[in-house]
Amino acid sequence: MKTPRLIASLAAVAAVGLALAGCAQSSSAASSTDGADKKLTVFLSADTNIQDLWQKTLIPAFEKANPGYTVSVDFDLHGLHDQQTVAKLTAATIQKKDPGYDLVDAGFVSQVAASGLLEKVSSSTVPGLKDVPKDLVTAGGNGGIPYRGSSVVLAYDTKTVATPPKTLDDLLAWIKANPGKFTYNSPDTGGSGQSFVTTVLDQNVSAADRTKLVTGSAPEVEGDWDKGFATLAGLNPYVYQKGVYPNGNNQVLDLLSSGQISIAPVWSDQFVTGRKNGQIPANIAYTQISDPSLTGGASYLGIPSASPRKAGAEKLASWLLTPDAQALVSDSISGYPVIALDKLPSAVQDLFKDADIANLRPAYFATTAADMNKAWAQKVPGK
Amino acid sequence: MAAIIATTAATPADRSAHPARRSAVAGFLLALPPVVVIALFVGVPVILALAFSVGFTGGLNTVIAAVGQNVHRADGIVPSFGAYGDVFTTEAFWQDLALTLAVTVASTAIVVVLAGGIGLFLRLQGGRLARVLSAIAIVPLFIPVVIASWAILTFYAADGFLRSLLAQFGIEGPVWSYTAVAIVIGSAWTSLPFAVLMITSGLQSIPDALIEAARDAGAGTVRIVRTILLPMSAVPLVIAVTFTAIGVIGSYTVPYFTGPNAPTMLGVSLASYFTSYNQPQQSLVMAFVVFLAAAGIGALYVWANFRSARREGRI
Repeated sequence: MKTPRLIASLAAVAAVGLALAGCAQSSSAASSTDGADKKLTVFLSADTNIQDLWQKTLIPAFEKANPGYTVSVDFDLHGLHDQQTVAKLTAATIQKKDPGYDLVDAGFVSQVAASGLLEKVSSSTVPGLKDVPKDLVTAGGNGGIPYRGSSVVLAYDTKTVATPPKTLDDLLAWIKANPGKFTYNSPDTGGSGQSFVTTVLDQNVSAADRTKLVTGSAPEVEGDWDKGFATLAGLNPYVYQKGVYPNGNNQVLDLLSSGQISIAPVWSDQFVTGRKNGQIPANIAYTQISDPSLTGGASYLGIPSASPRKAGAEKLASWLLTPDAQALVSDSISGYPVIALDKLPSAVQDLFKDADIANLRPAYFATTAADMNKAWAQKVPGK
Repeated sequence: MAAIIATTAATPADRSAHPARRSAVAGFLLALPPVVVIALFVGVPVILALAFSVGFTGGLNTVIAAVGQNVHRADGIVPSFGAYGDVFTTEAFWQDLALTLAVTVASTAIVVVLAGGIGLFLRLQGGRLARVLSAIAIVPLFIPVVIASWAILTFYAADGFLRSLLAQFGIEGPVWSYTAVAIVIGSAWTSLPFAVLMITSGLQSIPDALIEAARDAGAGTVRIVRTILLPMSAVPLVIAVTFTAIGVIGSYTVPYFTGPNAPTMLGVSLASYFTSYNQPQQSLVMAFVVFLAAAGIGALYVWANFRSARREGRI
């Protein structure tokens, strides 16, 4: 008796919802005729330094170089809602509705590229791509546009650490020899801690299995992680305050800057920016470890194929690959440039002559990383 | 009662029936918007969530089921309790639940003792100091929880004010940041204003005559508190306890900022399951556990209201 009535009321609710959505849709479609295709929205899923990069540097410069265009930002801190964002993008693409943004800068770009949700790009639609190494473009999959690079590095306090660890084994030994002087952020709250966890797990993952974990969902090989998680749990008594893992990349940098810890994994771009604006004192330096190295790679942009403003988005993407824009990325967040170095100003060339962006170790695929975050939370802290 | 009805019903019955019905309709219409809003935006999602948690992934749950990882699906109309199994067999969940309950009990006890102390001081002693104290206790109401949490975190950090101060005297102070102690401190801070307002107003409404009569009869302060003030302010006290406990049991910001990674409170844990681990079904199972615990506390509130209503003869 009650079920039909419930269904009827649910249907009524859904109908009202659809009607409202329809109104919103048609009104935005109506307004798009009067030059609204020059109103672009960029979706960012990153930390605040990337938000600043876009809002304070790149967007003003782009709007100045291309009068008439306005660009706004839709921001998701630390990419906390990445999986929901991907779901919404998928739904919008299937229903051929405007996803609400025209360019995506997020860790999940390669995932949605693989699902075919992005507009395919080439140097004919995005002319700037002709200056980018081919391998880097191919690695982004269908529609990924590399525009900056960064990697996780090991930052250390030169006052307390005379010779920083050179390999991962050295680092693990150092942590045990210096209790309370190391920590990393919980992997679900930031890429630097996630990179450290990934790197420790990778010690016991075969190259073939790792390829699976990097390129897609591979629950069948996640068992390879057990040994690595045991290693991480074994570090608990030697980590800051006997097992405190702060939330977010910035909290770790704060602990390092205030001298409470001596070594931590940090993002290269966040570190250099922090040094430049004085948040990180001069006695903190950074290095890279080997066997294996901490992860890193190019950051990719994507143009959702459902976006009605693709031409504008392609223009913006192509502009980002000009020497001017690449120099801005390098200046403001010390991001590795992705175009050939000889096109850049000599100051930028000097800064990055040793960085080999094409050979960084990539991080795990998005769904794999979600599984890893959960497994870490269950197997490491408090154990 | 019967006599009154008999006398009034004789003459103006026809005229009064109409306005009474109209005011009933008006009352119903006034109550309708909040009821509809709650039914639509709370009731329907709760029913959908309950259906989703036992594996009914069709209809309005299609999208979340398609997106989520590790989703258990019902076999036709036979519900699947796979997600409940996942959660209840996870050791971390029981640790989180234990911590959540312990923090709730500890914070509520601290809040009630502090608010009760301020209320009694104001009631029995009065004066400038008591008024200033009760005003200061309201301050947390005007400070955003995020900022307060951050302040608590840094205050009790290894390089925080407390330890710096104690170090001046050569004492090694405790580090409470990222521990359950910091969660209790933060929860007590955020819950104190409401409890103070509730308990002081309850105590203030007790007539002076009762207290003075007891004093004249030779009763000491302890006896006045025990036999007059506490029983007469029992209802505001129960309301303060239930609202504090329900607020703390579902808190997110304070434990997220100030607490340990694991075990953590269920509010943080279920948010991680939903966003970071992309397991919406398991997250909902945890939400229902918190809901049940909060409902248990809510029953106490209903019972207190019922008791006071019966005592006043309203039902």
